[in-house]
Amino acid sequence: MSVDTTCCNNSCDNQAISEWIKSEEYKEKNFSREALTINPSKACQPLGAMLCALGIEGCLPFVHGSQGCAAYFRNNLSRHLREPVPTVSDSMTEDAAVFGGQANMIDGLKNAHALYHPAMMAVFTTCMAEVIGDDLKAFITNARNQGAIPEDFPIAFAHTPSFVGSHITGWDNMFKGLLQSLADPRHGKWTNGRLYLVPGFDAYPANLREYRRLVDAMGIPVTILPDASEPMDAPHTGEYELYPGGTPMAELADALNASGFVFMQKYSTQNSFKFVKNVQKINTEVVTMPIGIKNTDNFLMALTEMTGKAVPAELERERGRAVDAATDAHQYIHGRRFALFGDPDLLIGLVGFLLEMGGMPVHIVCTNGNAKFKKEMDALLASSPFGSEGKVYIGKDLWHLHSLLMTEPVDMLIGDSHGKYLAKDAGIPLARVGFPLTDRVNLHRSPIVGYQGAINLISLIANTFIEELDRTCSDERFELLR
Amino acid sequence: MFVNLSKLHLKEECPLEDKGAPKLCMKALPGEGAERSCAFDGARVVLMPIADAAHIVHGPIACAGNSWDNRGARSSGPQLYRRGLTTDLHEMDVVYGGEKKLEKAIVEVAYTHQPKAIFVYASCVSALIGDDIDKACQEAQKEVSVPVIPVNAPGFMGDKNIGNRVSGEVLLQQVIGTAEPEEDHPFAINFIGEYNIAGDLWGILPSLDALGIKLLSSISGDGRFDDIRKAHRAKLNVLVCSKSLTNLVKKMEQKWGMPYIEGSFYGIHDTSETLRMIAQMLGDQSLIERTEKHIAEQEEKTRQIIDPYKKKLAGKRAVLFTGGVKTWSMVTTLKELGIEVLAGGTQNSTPEDFLRMKALMDPEAQIIEDTSAAGFLTLIAEKKPDLIVAGGKTKYLAHKTRTPFLDINHGRSLPYAGYRGMVTFAEAVHRTVFSPVWEKLRQSFPPGGEAR
Repeated sequence: MSVDTTCCNNSCDNQAISEWIKSEEYKEKNFSREALTINPSKACQPLGAMLCALGIEGCLPFVHGSQGCAAYFRNNLSRHLREPVPTVSDSMTEDAAVFGGQANMIDGLKNAHALYHPAMMAVFTTCMAEVIGDDLKAFITNARNQGAIPEDFPIAFAHTPSFVGSHITGWDNMFKGLLQSLADPRHGKWTNGRLYLVPGFDAYPANLREYRRLVDAMGIPVTILPDASEPMDAPHTGEYELYPGGTPMAELADALNASGFVFMQKYSTQNSFKFVKNVQKINTEVVTMPIGIKNTDNFLMALTEMTGKAVPAELERERGRAVDAATDAHQYIHGRRFALFGDPDLLIGLVGFLLEMGGMPVHIVCTNGNAKFKKEMDALLASSPFGSEGKVYIGKDLWHLHSLLMTEPVDMLIGDSHGKYLAKDAGIPLARVGFPLTDRVNLHRSPIVGYQGAINLISLIANTFIEELDRTCSDERFELLR
Repeated sequence: MFVNLSKLHLKEECPLEDKGAPKLCMKALPGEGAERSCAFDGARVVLMPIADAAHIVHGPIACAGNSWDNRGARSSGPQLYRRGLTTDLHEMDVVYGGEKKLEKAIVEVAYTHQPKAIFVYASCVSALIGDDIDKACQEAQKEVSVPVIPVNAPGFMGDKNIGNRVSGEVLLQQVIGTAEPEEDHPFAINFIGEYNIAGDLWGILPSLDALGIKLLSSISGDGRFDDIRKAHRAKLNVLVCSKSLTNLVKKMEQKWGMPYIEGSFYGIHDTSETLRMIAQMLGDQSLIERTEKHIAEQEEKTRQIIDPYKKKLAGKRAVLFTGGVKTWSMVTTLKELGIEVLAGGTQNSTPEDFLRMKALMDPEAQIIEDTSAAGFLTLIAEKKPDLIVAGGKTKYLAHKTRTPFLDINHGRSLPYAGYRGMVTFAEAVHRTVFSPVWEKLRQSFPPGGEAR
């Protein structure tokens, strides 16, 4: 039987079709897709690995595989951060696909080392190198033996095939690779007295700075590993610095002697968490990303638990200000219905925040979420009457979300810039949170974590609603007081 | 079908020994940088602007996940081409093959989107695991009533250029000539290699309309599949971006006897020159006269508008680094604003483009040989230009060196083509060079230090 795909007239985007796309019938058809992904809300492993690698001082990310991938990653991060992003690729082509990528790797390491003078390199792979099964460890050893790079030149590596997981998996694998390749073995029971804070895949430099501020205020010596806040948001000095900062190499080397590790995201650090906690037996906690007041409370309490340090008065006052801001703005958020999409850790944080504000999460789409995430999200929704309408969709894409928005309308969409078409079609505003944010400036320069982040999110969501009201209301409803 | 690379005459087209010449058949130097995209991207760039077709990327999430809707090629109608369609291959697909999944995906896209045609792109992974996308397309074709067209340009084939050419071959073999136009228009032309970035095409159309020239098909900016099928009945091909589709116009000439010209619509001079050539080639006396009149009117009007900008910009110096037609066309365009090109370079263009650029530039001007980020920084430190004109990946690098930057590639949001585009371009350059922020960057802080 042949599918008749002819359109009723010259344009496929005509009225009848666009009406049909909004229907319940279309939704069923759309949800019965098994093979086709439309508008995925995820990127691939090496992109995450690259962001992770950027957070070590003097580190040059090195992509082993096809060159186009590396150009895409640089573009994506550059467009979001509005910063130059240094990365090299060893440009594997057909012959490398046949004979393996060792020659490219050795030449590449040699050239990159000579051209860009990095303090270290982080090597990770694209899917092409993974399909042919290149052995990174052996290649790097051979590169050293052949004198392409100095014998003692630090290189971390990770296998990051894009046909497994997503960018958060890649972040995780690269992080574990950094520890395995470049952290010294533990000195038994001795610790260096520092808390190591692991952000996970987070493209907000402001979030990392906020973590540092909060932990500093607690009086805890901290290393953020890796800390890409400077490379993601370097000050303008008139000189282009290829390596504008990051976690010092010495602190990476000393990581396994930490007094404790705190992971700020669960789903983008699953392997690393196991490695630190179960293999290295370090005192390790994982918290929900501290988005909103309650999640920030829990984060600070976890710090107290780990270190015995009390929450200082200044943070208590800060919390009070956030509660005050929530009180002032509760009426704009309470009872409003939301759809959200993004990475799993971000969504858990955001949904917790919405519930505490009386917002109602309705559609939650997580392309790169797993069953464990769904279980946690379901439990979170069940914990509040405001979560009663919430449904979680893992492995679904933004076109599934399109159908959901059309058939079960909500008041606002929360997600990255890719959501703007959905929001436009559904006639609702978009509050931009996540990665990538390519159509607004400086959003990544304000934190969404901590008490300050809670105030920022409340302002963003409430003001977006109010803007919408002002733009669309009749004259008699156009008020000075909102 | 796989396009045999040797059939694309890449090797013969690499005659240039000049320093800084584009290395068409040379591989990128490993570890040098990550400026250059791949064959898949090149194929995508050419075909994806066909707005009423569905474009399925057969590969893992990498290719489509990082790139869907990332180019500013605009459409005046259907927006289907902007959807990120992919088979999102997973581990099990890599092990067991992804052909069946692809067949299914093709049928699903036909059901859910009703496209005019379905293009299917191979990727590194699908090619390496031996998925036969041609066969999958044939199988799916039995169930789908619109053409299903495989595009075999996996990334590892090489640079963007190669993918561009493969796309040209695909159009030639499977699309062009498969339908006939309803009327035989005496002044029907095609644009080849105009991608309607930021709406460039719409800056050119007013001139064509005024002259009574019909754009039969646009390959591929704001393109429609059915129009491209009829492209073989145009009287003339106008190659707007020679880097990408020279092979296509040459073969159309062989096959249908269609003459072609190479032109550019950037800047006043090039726009006029191209319109003039079109009229000459179409050979109608009254059209030629109309064209001259139109050119004179438009040039005067445009020069009048940009004159104040030119007065202020005269004597400024720029570094130009771009690809394709812009390689040489931007040299003249900048000159029209009184801006001198200090150094120029390209890696994404044809040897002909490169030679044109060299001929247009001041003999004193430098050819950029080292195209890596490192080489670029050295050049800027040395030349201290007032303006850098290049693509998005260079933008923030330029900013860090306190140099005004103008994005000329696909990341821009303003159209620069045609007479109207020239005005937009002049405004943009002026806004860029004379922004007060550069002053802010040069002041020392705390005050009293040396101004930089």
